[in-house]
Amino acid sequence: MTERETFVLIERYLAGELNRAEEIDFDQHRQNDPVFAERYRDYQELFGAMHVYKNRTALKQKLQTIHTTEFETVPETTEAVEPVTSSWKIFWNQHFATMAVAASVAVITVFGSLLSLDAWRSVKKQQNARYSELRREVDQIKRSQRALIQDISGKPSIPNAKLALRPASFIGTGFVLSSSGYFVTSYHVIKDADSVYIENNKGLRYKVKEVYKDKLHDLAILKIADSSFTSFGHLPYAFKSSTADLGEKVYTLGFPREDMVYGEGSLSSRTGFEGDSTAYQISIPVNPGNSGGPLIDSQGNLIGIISGKQREQEGAAFAIKSAYLKTLIQGMGQDTLKEPINLSRRNNLAGLARTQQIKKLQDYVFMVKIYN
Amino acid sequence: MHKALYFSDEAIIHGIVNDDEEALAYLYRLHFPMILNFILTNSGTEDEAKDIYQESIIVFYEKIKAGSLELNCQIKTYIYSVSRRLWLKKLAEKSKYSSASINDSDAYLNLLSDAAVIDENDQKFSTMAQALNQLGEPCRTLLEDYYFQDLSMQLITEKFGYTNADNTKNQKYKCLMRLKKLFFSLYKMQE
Repeated sequence: MTERETFVLIERYLAGELNRAEEIDFDQHRQNDPVFAERYRDYQELFGAMHVYKNRTALKQKLQTIHTTEFETVPETTEAVEPVTSSWKIFWNQHFATMAVAASVAVITVFGSLLSLDAWRSVKKQQNARYSELRREVDQIKRSQRALIQDISGKPSIPNAKLALRPASFIGTGFVLSSSGYFVTSYHVIKDADSVYIENNKGLRYKVKEVYKDKLHDLAILKIADSSFTSFGHLPYAFKSSTADLGEKVYTLGFPREDMVYGEGSLSSRTGFEGDSTAYQISIPVNPGNSGGPLIDSQGNLIGIISGKQREQEGAAFAIKSAYLKTLIQGMGQDTLKEPINLSRRNNLAGLARTQQIKKLQDYVFMVKIYN
Repeated sequence: MHKALYFSDEAIIHGIVNDDEEALAYLYRLHFPMILNFILTNSGTEDEAKDIYQESIIVFYEKIKAGSLELNCQIKTYIYSVSRRLWLKKLAEKSKYSSASINDSDAYLNLLSDAAVIDENDQKFSTMAQALNQLGEPCRTLLEDYYFQDLSMQLITEKFGYTNADNTKNQKYKCLMRLKKLFFSLYKMQE
């Protein structure tokens, strides 16, 4: 008899489906056959567990139903239940208003001060934001480590390593003031320089040192400090002392690139940025690198020094008036200058065509290279 | 359907013995707030309170049904004691608190004498639940329909689409043998 057959028999016995003789047989079997008795006990146990399971699931179902009808669908009954509030909750309820006020005060203070600081700064910054100085920042070329590595043959890997020059960090423009080697450019071009070199189209290259810096009007007077330098000879242009007229055709030479660039326009206002009376507004398209370039009128007079342009405004560039430069130089005493700066008053460019003027002029306009 | 307004403790027990739903509902209503309060004060949630309370009601109910309840206190105290014991166990599982930090709101009894019986039923129940889960379909539904829902063989045959009742019977016994195997293996594992 397999276990399954036994179970069938047991179920029939319990359901009372057996006849008299079979029942007696069954009882005897249970007493004498230990295997059969064992199976009977198993069955009992299994069904005991099934019974427990059945009743419990039914009861759980019932209780769940009671619970939902009593405590969830009818909120009135839950009013009797007073969930105990924790001490934190009580504290919160008592001090909620105070905390809220304190928090909002804190928030308002923080953001208020941030915003007002911001506004205050932006007023200060506005000038810088709208006025952009025009020196050119040169991308630093990463020099390879090879310079430090000796190859196997023992030769330095870069031949003529001494000749490999470090590229300049900034580039501007400048021009000659006097034959004795004085030179002018914008202050912001050289403001954080370690050393300054000037270089022109002919390939002349001189080291210069600072003589005088005027931060407010963005001018810097330099002097060539090179033993090889003797004299510039006669300057072809003269410095204009009076203010130039509106609509004057003007042009400039500068170094927004490695090569000299010519730019022309007109004098559009006799005051500069925000009404600065020491500057002109001009309509020459200028770019970073043009700073410090000469502003020449149609007669070949030097009337200004390019300094910057206004952002978000088309064709508004600015130049410092030569008149201011002149007064500045006259005001510089013996203490700053070893030798006086003699600005040329003779103009050799008047009446020449523009191209001829430029030919004579270009050797006196230098690229200013800043190393730091 | 009228609701009885009040049952005495004896009436409740009597009602449960005679399967009176009213009595059970009354009992349930009566003590839930107490247990809810107790669980909430001892870092539990409303849902946990519900589960714990229902479990203790089940314990109480089963003991009455089995005729093994020797009640020498109020039902309220008994229910509270059972719930308290269950909650302590739960907290120990969570291992958040030692049993020392329970705030009691009522008097309670130590139920060590009852513990064995309760646990045996618990074990039977959970083992059977596991076994049924592992049994899978269609066996599970078939057995539940036959043994728990008391559906007739004929109905089950139609429901499952067997050809005749004999087939269904065979199927049922197959399932029963599998359940038995599962149940006893699980049971032995737990011991």
